[in-house]
Amino acid sequence: MKKLVAVALSTVASIVISASAVNAETFKIGLSNGWVGSEWRTQMIDEAKAAAEKWKEKGVDVEVSVQSANVDVPGQIAHIRNFIAEGVNAIIVNPNSPTAFDPIFAQAKEAGILVIATDAEVSSPDAIYVGIDQTAWGAAGAKWLAETLGGKGKVVAINGVAGHPANEMRVAGYKQVFKDYPDIQIVNEVNANWDQAQGQQAMQNILATYPDVNGVVVQDGMAAGAWKSIMDAGKTGQIAATGEIRKDFIDLWVKDKLNSGATVNPPGVMASALNVAVLMLQGKELKEPAKAGQYGNALYLPIPFIDSKNLGDAAKQLEGKPGYYSYTSSLSIEEAEALFK
Amino acid sequence: MADVAVTPRARAGGIRKLLERYPFLPALVIVAALLLLNGVFSPNSLSYRSLTGLLSTYMALIMLAIAQTYVVYAGDIDLSAGSILSLVNVAIVVLMERWGGGAGAVLLALALGLLLGLACGLVNGIVVAALRLQAIVATFATSIFFTGFALYILPVAGTPAPALFWRTYGGRLLGVPFVFYILAVLVVLLLVLSRTRLVTQLLAVGDDQQAAFQTGLPVVPVRIKGYLLCGLFSALAAFCITGDTASGDPLVGGKMTLYSVAAVVLGGSALSGGWGTVVGSLLGALTIGLINSVVFFMGTPSEWQNFVQGLAILVVLMAGVLAGRRARA
Repeated sequence: MKKLVAVALSTVASIVISASAVNAETFKIGLSNGWVGSEWRTQMIDEAKAAAEKWKEKGVDVEVSVQSANVDVPGQIAHIRNFIAEGVNAIIVNPNSPTAFDPIFAQAKEAGILVIATDAEVSSPDAIYVGIDQTAWGAAGAKWLAETLGGKGKVVAINGVAGHPANEMRVAGYKQVFKDYPDIQIVNEVNANWDQAQGQQAMQNILATYPDVNGVVVQDGMAAGAWKSIMDAGKTGQIAATGEIRKDFIDLWVKDKLNSGATVNPPGVMASALNVAVLMLQGKELKEPAKAGQYGNALYLPIPFIDSKNLGDAAKQLEGKPGYYSYTSSLSIEEAEALFK
Repeated sequence: MADVAVTPRARAGGIRKLLERYPFLPALVIVAALLLLNGVFSPNSLSYRSLTGLLSTYMALIMLAIAQTYVVYAGDIDLSAGSILSLVNVAIVVLMERWGGGAGAVLLALALGLLLGLACGLVNGIVVAALRLQAIVATFATSIFFTGFALYILPVAGTPAPALFWRTYGGRLLGVPFVFYILAVLVVLLLVLSRTRLVTQLLAVGDDQQAAFQTGLPVVPVRIKGYLLCGLFSALAAFCITGDTASGDPLVGGKMTLYSVAAVVLGGSALSGGWGTVVGSLLGALTIGLINSVVFFMGTPSEWQNFVQGLAILVVLMAGVLAGRRARA
């Protein structure tokens, strides 16, 4: 009880202190990212910061505080502790482990902090997940491939890191879809660890072993490599394969008229999560509570898809951006508001 | 010329003696300075609650750094320490769950976890000391092997640890946070260990293996015992990480190995062996934790955080090396 009063008092105090601007609502949101290995993550943070800026027009002051570094699991737990010590209102985290944050998220909640995970689901009942459903992500690519092949043919799969939760969900997603197409035969599945070079190598081996393969399900981060092998083998016209959302690949796709389709895992997920967080901090309630997913705490966002029909639009969005820039989408403030009562 | 040189030497003599007696003093000063910096940038970070949190989060790295120190004493290294941690983590979590998560199950699983850590240490010791493979590559190989075994036990992160276990670790006993008891027991344990013959023998082997052999020390068994200690403390580190994360994750320790080596060096031990303290490694692990938070509390922009963090570790390393060199000169 004493603790509760103390928390309440300190919250009141921080509101009083921060409400110096006339009538402006102020929220402090901590962003934690535990891996800095790709441009996708950098773009994710930049977009979240930009989303926070946009709230100014609505008279809401969203101050973001970022911790982004290559850390181990204890290092990212320390991120969360730092945010608790700093007294933020909400924490948005791209977690390094699905399960390891349960106790620290419980502590954050106890301190009255809203916790949202994005990009990777977490098991904590004290957090919600705002992001895409990786199973549906895997299924979307497979569905496109199955339809492109007219429901029959020989297919190979190039997967990411074995044992990684997102990879396992994506694999489950495409397997589910191919079950509905009895004439599609998965002839082989290999792991290429989300690495372009390994993807290229894996595709070379596949083309040597199965010269009559018609389709490839390959995840982003390896698809450009796999496509390079397909093009080197002169089979661009004969094989349909899933693709990537990075600008350099989309340019190639347009130029060489690849038969490809890309499920979008947008770096804007953190920006979407931020908009949801601000609305929740304002005390609004979700129309449909976040209860989806294997942990019963997920709010799934729509997953865009790029194929030959809308490739032109995607290319236009990326015009003038650097090659590593990813096609993106996120919930705007209005779209996020539509999710609330 | 000689006169000029004598005066500072004489004055430095006192510090030198102090450094010889307590080689971890520079590390202690650095930890104090970092705590102060944290406090300046964010007074809240020095609160009782925050310090308890710091300790409970970094206790695993402290244990792992101590584990690493015992092999480094003998001039060896263990790149599999983090994988042993992962393996013990998933093993005890799975066992606790299978046995129902009661007090008996928890204790039995912990006992088996210690044995598993010792067994991993024994494998490393035999491979490195008895089969005479190069430690850095041999333990890199066993690390892949241990990770594979961990993935076999638990293919995907999951499986919660029993509430009894993690609530004890994160909770209080008689009003004092449990991690402080762990720290107290650890310090006593380290004191006792530091007076054993084994530690002296490890240091002697690390100082000059040939000389140690010629004076009649059983070099191979001594090095194996170093790896056994390393395995044991890696298992203790696994208990701490299980307490702090309340779950099993077969990949949790992978990134921690090199941090444990860094903590050993930051604590003033020499990777070439024969010189160092475990207390230094304990402080080295805290240094890494405090650098991470001070970089954030300073308000470093996110794109520079890795850079500043690396730079800070280098600066601390240099400060420690300069002080240590003076002590040994």
